[in-house]
Amino acid sequence: MVRTIARKGLSSVPKTHPLSVLSLQNISKSYGKIRALSNLSFDVPEGSVFGVLGPNGSGKTTLLSIVLDVLKADGGGFRWFGEPGTPGQRKKIGSLLETPNFYHYLSAINNLKITQSISGRGGLNDIDDVLRKVNLYDRRNSRFNSYSLGMKQRLAIAAALLGDPGVLVLDEPTNGLDPVGIAEIRELMLELNRKGHTIIMASHLLDEVEKVCTHVAILKKGTLITTGNVDDVLVDEDIVEISAPGLDALLALMKNWGAAQKVSLKDNRVYLVFPKGTARPEEINRYCFSQGIVLDHLLIKKQRLEARFFELTSN
Amino acid sequence: MFDIAKTEWLKMKNYRAFWWVMGITAFTYPGINYMALYGYQNLTEQRKQAGKFVKMIIGNPFSFPEAWHSVAYFSSLFIFIPAIVIIMLITNEYNFKTNRQNVIDGWSRRDFMTGKLIDVIILSGLVTLFYALVAFALGVSNTDDPLASKWDQIYYIGLFALQSFSQLSLAFLTGFLVRKSFIALAIFSFYFIIAEPITVKVLKFKYHSEIGQFFPREISDRLLPPPEFFSKFGPEAYKAALAQVQYHVYYTIALVALTWLFCFWMNDRRDL
Repeated sequence: MVRTIARKGLSSVPKTHPLSVLSLQNISKSYGKIRALSNLSFDVPEGSVFGVLGPNGSGKTTLLSIVLDVLKADGGGFRWFGEPGTPGQRKKIGSLLETPNFYHYLSAINNLKITQSISGRGGLNDIDDVLRKVNLYDRRNSRFNSYSLGMKQRLAIAAALLGDPGVLVLDEPTNGLDPVGIAEIRELMLELNRKGHTIIMASHLLDEVEKVCTHVAILKKGTLITTGNVDDVLVDEDIVEISAPGLDALLALMKNWGAAQKVSLKDNRVYLVFPKGTARPEEINRYCFSQGIVLDHLLIKKQRLEARFFELTSN
Repeated sequence: MFDIAKTEWLKMKNYRAFWWVMGITAFTYPGINYMALYGYQNLTEQRKQAGKFVKMIIGNPFSFPEAWHSVAYFSSLFIFIPAIVIIMLITNEYNFKTNRQNVIDGWSRRDFMTGKLIDVIILSGLVTLFYALVAFALGVSNTDDPLASKWDQIYYIGLFALQSFSQLSLAFLTGFLVRKSFIALAIFSFYFIIAEPITVKVLKFKYHSEIGQFFPREISDRLLPPPEFFSKFGPEAYKAALAQVQYHVYYTIALVALTWLFCFWMNDRRDL
């Protein structure tokens, strides 16, 4: 269901994005001896849903904190809309950074009045609209400290949406939400993207990035591993698992054949890697038989994206 | 500037602790001054010669124009009450991480500090208003002499406002540096009520040093010396204390300026 929605979302995004909403140049940041970010550079194209993906501690939140002026970079710089970052630019960006940050003693409405007063985004009627959008309207007069984790997160999303900003920066936006809430927020992001909004989203959930994002930057220990279109970076592969009496002979045969991109031996199985959708098990079986090897095991399986992610981020 | 003040008001107006403390302050100022007035009346209504002598020499300290001075002094003893709100207002921001959110939403770091400066100005203004109302009410009800000038010592309103602003700025500095509300309240209370007063007295009486007058609280404390009837060291010491006030106005202004320059500078530099 969500995947279908995702595809709809992706289809409306142009393949090339001439303008950069955000451009990072050699951003570095250390906390004492710990290097949180190392010379990070990439561009966020206009109209994209840009995922900053990485395991915990990879520097995602530090990166977003720097571009939102909460943290000072030790080196490098960034540009929003081609200009150095200013408070005026941040007013036009709806942001959720790390945790929902609100005055605990104030209601949802009064908290959003403060957001509105600082950012100048939207008006009092818009506050009601965004609260409806995140299903918090009925609890609009309840104090923030009476909210559940999921409600707090939804209020933070409402604050980011206030005034319909063209750019959203969302750090782990589905944190603390139940499955229905997660699906709703993902759908909301795709809907906003279809309307032309640019969304920069940090996540450690590969599944989320795959379903929602058009572009991705993968971080590991503060270093950029790769960046680009999601379909290019997180490409799936077909893996065929075979075995036969005489594994060494089978391995040598497959290597000589040259049809597979990669051939390896593991746990008494020979693994053949093919580009996504190109593995032909009947051809493999026929070729082996013609060369005098009878397979006693043949299994085709897709490489899970998680495996790809671990492959990219492992040491 | 107006937008920042408006936003700070949105934070304050629904903050119950703010209204509680304002209520307590509004109750405390008349309370402490009526107690002092009661003490004075007890003293002077005694049949002893001393009481009559005091009344004859110094008059009623709660009549005009002395009421402005006497009420300012007694009211200033309770500066730690509004200081609680100031410390809560800044430490709340760190506790809720709203100092970050305000910047994320589009304030500069300078805007954030300007907002806090406005908070301190608003609180100083409110306590000064309470003081002025109490001083005026006590002055009116205790002045028998129709020729007494109501406004002769009206400048005590300015001195009270400056002292309040200075001491609330120090409360703010404590909250700004410590960030944890209860620790900041404990440090501020201990320093203001115990550590500095004792140190100043020890330096003065044991080591005969006046260096204590330059301590953060003492600098502005000396803007409002104890009223003459309350002074323990005689008329000469009282006159000397009054003569020092003008210098402490300058010292206090310098301290306040340094305090806020430091806060703005520090907030610009550090990670949020």
